[in-house]
Amino acid sequence: MSTVLTNITKSYDSEKPVLNDINAEIQTGEFFVIVGPSGCGKSTLLRMIAGLTQISDGEIRINDKVVNDLPPKDRNLTMVFQSYALFPFLNVWDNVAFGLKARKNTSQAEIEKRVNEALKMVNLESLKDRKPRELSGGQRQRVALARAVASDAKICLMDEPLSNLDAQLRIKMRQEIYALQRKLGLTLIYVTHDQVEAMTMADHIMVLHDSKVQQIGTPAEIYKYPANEFVASFFGVPPINILPAVKVSNGRINVNNDFEVNIDQQVPADNFKVGIRPNELVIEQADELHANASVKSIEFLGDEKIVYAKMSNNGLEVAVEVSSDADFKAYDTIKVSATEKVLLFNGDGVNITRNAEDVVNA
Amino acid sequence: MSKYKKLALPLILVLGIVLIAVFGKALSAKSAVKDNRTEVVFWHEMGGPSEQALVKVVDGFNKSQNKYKVVPKYQGSYDEAIQKILQTHNTSTSPAVFQAFDISTAQMLHSGYTTPVQNFIDEDKYDVSKISAVARAFYANDGKQQAMPFNTSQPVLYFNASLLEKYGITPPPVSPSYSDITRVAKELYEKSGHKVKGMTVQVYGWFLEQALANANRQLANNNDGHTGNPTKVNVNNPDTVEFLNWIKENIKAGDFIDYGSGANAGANQTAGFLSDKVGIFIQSSASMGQLSKSNKNKLGITYFPHPDGKKANGVSIGGAALWISNDKPKDVQRGAFEFIKYTLKPEVQAQWQKSTGYLALNKDSQKTDILKELYAKNPESKVPGEQLAHAKANFSNSGILMEGMQLTRQLEEVAMETVYNGGDIKTALNTADKNINDNLTQLNKANGFK
Amino acid sequence: MLKTSTTDAIPDKKVNATHRHSFRLNAKDKYYAAVFLGPSLLVLGLFVFYPMLKTLYISLFLTNTLGNTTVYVGLGNYVNLISSPDFISSLFVTLFYVFAVTFFTVALGLLLANLASQKLPGIAIFRTLYSVTMGVSVAVAAIFWLFIFNPSTGFFALMSSWFNLPVMNWLTNPTSAMWAVIITTVWMNLGFTFLILLGAIQSVPNTLYEAADVEGASSNFQFFHITIPMISPTLFFVSTITIIGSFKSFGLIDMITKGGPTNATNMLVYRIYKDAFYSGNYSKSSAEAIILTVIIAFFTLLQFKFLEKKVNY
Repeated sequence: MSTVLTNITKSYDSEKPVLNDINAEIQTGEFFVIVGPSGCGKSTLLRMIAGLTQISDGEIRINDKVVNDLPPKDRNLTMVFQSYALFPFLNVWDNVAFGLKARKNTSQAEIEKRVNEALKMVNLESLKDRKPRELSGGQRQRVALARAVASDAKICLMDEPLSNLDAQLRIKMRQEIYALQRKLGLTLIYVTHDQVEAMTMADHIMVLHDSKVQQIGTPAEIYKYPANEFVASFFGVPPINILPAVKVSNGRINVNNDFEVNIDQQVPADNFKVGIRPNELVIEQADELHANASVKSIEFLGDEKIVYAKMSNNGLEVAVEVSSDADFKAYDTIKVSATEKVLLFNGDGVNITRNAEDVVNA
Repeated sequence: MSKYKKLALPLILVLGIVLIAVFGKALSAKSAVKDNRTEVVFWHEMGGPSEQALVKVVDGFNKSQNKYKVVPKYQGSYDEAIQKILQTHNTSTSPAVFQAFDISTAQMLHSGYTTPVQNFIDEDKYDVSKISAVARAFYANDGKQQAMPFNTSQPVLYFNASLLEKYGITPPPVSPSYSDITRVAKELYEKSGHKVKGMTVQVYGWFLEQALANANRQLANNNDGHTGNPTKVNVNNPDTVEFLNWIKENIKAGDFIDYGSGANAGANQTAGFLSDKVGIFIQSSASMGQLSKSNKNKLGITYFPHPDGKKANGVSIGGAALWISNDKPKDVQRGAFEFIKYTLKPEVQAQWQKSTGYLALNKDSQKTDILKELYAKNPESKVPGEQLAHAKANFSNSGILMEGMQLTRQLEEVAMETVYNGGDIKTALNTADKNINDNLTQLNKANGFK
Repeated sequence: MLKTSTTDAIPDKKVNATHRHSFRLNAKDKYYAAVFLGPSLLVLGLFVFYPMLKTLYISLFLTNTLGNTTVYVGLGNYVNLISSPDFISSLFVTLFYVFAVTFFTVALGLLLANLASQKLPGIAIFRTLYSVTMGVSVAVAAIFWLFIFNPSTGFFALMSSWFNLPVMNWLTNPTSAMWAVIITTVWMNLGFTFLILLGAIQSVPNTLYEAADVEGASSNFQFFHITIPMISPTLFFVSTITIIGSFKSFGLIDMITKGGPTNATNMLVYRIYKDAFYSGNYSKSSAEAIILTVIIAFFTLLQFKFLEKKVNY
């Protein structure tokens, strides 16, 4: 009982495929997030699962049934669109009831029961007579959710449902969607470009980039053991610092010719890179003689500060997380070093950190 | 500064208006080429080949002298021209001389907008005896010539002589009766294996009126208006009934085809006749020019049919006359009359008949080579003239001098259409009577006629 | 909370309601108002209001041969008209024509627009074909259809003879003449209506259809429950202009039937024209014109009162 994607490929005309050889298994009842930068084909993949876009090659199975040639309505799923796709001429209640009425196989009493329940679930009972134009963005979003809830389908697809909302509201709706998914036991396949959404809600994340799956894993796996440089850079705020490195001796590497780090594994002689999260970098004030970087700017975030510094060599910039009472100003000369928790990437960007191999599947 | 700004907008507006006015004037002045001739604007309603013939007449006049210049302007249908003439009177656009059709005679007479041509005839001591008396009488009132007949026609019956020959059908006699025509029409329809319809009569009030004239029946009281202003019409009379019954009989037999009313119907029935779809139809003699020109068949012409067992009374003339407006200066009116005199010259009338089929009004035209040649080549083109000569003028066949003739015709046509579409004759005619009389009563009231 | 963060607000429709009462004109404004309004008021007054009032005035009199008002009859002309079966039948003929034309124009326009909005190869050719009548003038259309209707040499006659059917004379039978005029008018209107409706259909967001696809709505259901309501403002627009346009229909009538046969296609506007410019009965046609004005005003009002409420979302 799951949704299985096997060797999915999509190409228009004979150009470079938009999606190439996608494989995944989405478990029933899980919150599955497809994430990637814009243009990576994530929406296309979702639309192919929905049946709105034909697949060029491969196979989609839902509950052990190949659905490649089934029209959307026979795949027993619902979808929430980025634009919500509400009918402007119908009030909230009728918008939610639309699908039930369209299928023509639900009794009037049943429709009323389900619509009212769905509205109750998203706290819209009092607004059921309003037209979409009389609703705020968040309320519209809830109507779209209610529509998905009212349908009996156990698979729900969401295409960037929060991207039209402002930051505060996005956080709130994130929680609501998550709660709803858990409460109803929905299989939720959720597309977003926002790594925070992916990290906060997903049971599993699929990272798409450059027409290919970069990695599939739980948020923790993705964060701790990114399959490659792209995945590492995509998750985490501020993004991971990627710096060139060379081997000094066994167990020791030199980063950017600025500082050295001890490591617990074999590395190639050169042509590899090191990834260091901002919180794994350490800085201290230093005079010009001992400094290897200078402070460019500082962001105050409450409990901590982010210090952006320019390394002496190569003009590379790094972000460093320090506690908010640390005393740094712009143009301070500093000395940058790192803890031993670093990631190593080879020349092709593949993660070569020890312990990472077992999670890399792409 | 702001003071000037305030002025700028109205100034621009005023300037614009002035510019438009000045240039407009300049342009319109430019369009009328100035020479020393007195310009005489002539409104007419001759379309198609007749217009070309008319332009030739005008050109002939303009070349024949150097004092006046006649400018012909086409005004559309007879019907529409009347209101244009009446409503532009006393404006600079109005014509000096205009062509108005037969049934508008009473209206023009009552308008008081025209100078009777009799005034000029008397001044010039112009001899009118050469001009057809029947035609003159139509446009005369109280012994005074009000307008001069110009294009004069008679309705005649055309048939496809080649088709009759092909199927061995005896052609209708000269001055046929209704049943003569029915016989030919039915035979043609049957013998052609229903490929050719026998006959048609266009829905046209003129034909209904002519049927009454030919049966010596007056439509309006006071002798069709010749002895006083009519106050009552009587469309529902035995002769109308007989005329419509004749048509109805042919409709029932299947040999009749209905082309409807109006200019399109005229064009359609001509097309049908020329393409062997219908064998017989009634039309003005003025169509002869067009019918003989583009006809691959031999054209047969005979008199307008008359009721069975009755002698033909003769039909009245149709067509139009030339009137002189009284809102133009003396010399322009004089020019208009000079033009009218020119149109009546024997050769001009002869050529006019030859090119259009309208009848030459000057008796001397018959002696011209133009007509002699024409008759030698197409003997049938004599028929309309003979029909006219055959008739003795009386009140029944001298036209109807009545206000509101245009609406009267429309209402007659509604009655005809009703019958053509299977309606009851008596009911249709009673409706027509009621509507025509209502309109007549109101018009007489509006015009202050007793 | 940061000042820049937007609140989740409901759009408010009535923000500026209080503004109106403080509206005052100073001398300068008055001056400009006069300058800007003056020309259009002048033109409107001269060419619209004066003729309208004059028409009303004439309709209360009888007019003589010259078109001058002579005898005051009060509402006599109106009474005559309303009690004339001829005029009443003209009224019904007009209404029938208007509604038939509007119905078929909008229905066919919608059908074609819906067909042409499908994403199929070569559909652009059909879009051009369907909208081609927009570039056809009334005169050309009339001649084109007159040729088709011609009982001897026309296209329909030809078809009938191929199949050995009796030739129907479209323009001389009152019923078929009405349909002939309706067909011609609808044909004329179709190009424009098609184009407007196609534009409306194409501007319906595609996600609405996709949402409906996922929800299991059939394409029929989608047409009636998404397309129609979504384009209802446009439907309202085209039916309003078609209704008003058909009330004013003149050129085609004049060229095809001249109001006949037996007045079967004698629409009000054509009747007004004939009574005035053929028969010279200006008082009668003025009264008819006033009645037509009232009727059109009534329908316009009706449409805006009832229909607009339903189509506004």
